[in-house]
Amino acid sequence: MEVSISKMRHATIFSLKGRLDSNTAPQFEKQLHDFLRAPSSHLIFDFDNLEYISSAGLRVILNTAKAYTAGPYHFSACAMQEHVQEVFEISGFDSFITIHRTVDESLSALDQA
Amino acid sequence: MDVSFQITNDLAELNTLQAHLEDLQSVWLLPPKTVAEINLVLEEIIANIIAHGDCAKQHPITITLEREGQELTMTVADEGPSFDPTICATPDVTLPLQDRKSGGLGLHLVRTFCQCCSYTRKNDMNILTLKRIIPKECR
Repeated sequence: MEVSISKMRHATIFSLKGRLDSNTAPQFEKQLHDFLRAPSSHLIFDFDNLEYISSAGLRVILNTAKAYTAGPYHFSACAMQEHVQEVFEISGFDSFITIHRTVDESLSALDQA
Repeated sequence: MDVSFQITNDLAELNTLQAHLEDLQSVWLLPPKTVAEINLVLEEIIANIIAHGDCAKQHPITITLEREGQELTMTVADEGPSFDPTICATPDVTLPLQDRKSGGLGLHLVRTFCQCCSYTRKNDMNILTLKRIIPKECR
């Protein structure tokens, strides 16, 4: 899986490409480590190019959501493909993670927060 | 056409699994979403076998996929320690974030994507059989 990290306004955007599975989740977790230890901006996961996710990926996302509950920064996800959206829903993750259709929608929501 | 292949208890073998499923996708004309779901079911089972086994000791895992009409039967057989995933508790996916734990989610997904899941221990092997209905081919 490829991860590109960019900054836009007050948010850090992680764009994921490929597969977030048992093989790739540990590396992704390492890349996130500093952001989760001490969040210093909003965080958006852009799933536009993420084709596949398994429970190993969900575990990293759960830890991310937990790291951002204390505030003041927000975490959200956007642009999910059908498979990823379905796995989120079956796991009940859509009940505690805000999901937008596009990065722009996520950014706009942050402006209004 | 039925398919059977063998991998070892190594997470890197998930790439082998993916390659086999991509081949099947074109032969059985499966929608990409169905292939992703089948891949997920098998990954969760294989990752569990690897996690519960002795990673220092290499052993084979045999995966068989049989299709009869719209019914797909997946069998995963391995020589690792006895482990029955069908009796593991499933997590409560309605809990709020602060009470959620990640354990058990993989098997919850497996149970959601498969209509039937059965386990036997035979000749020192774990044999897990999973069945699911696949949608009619999309052209």
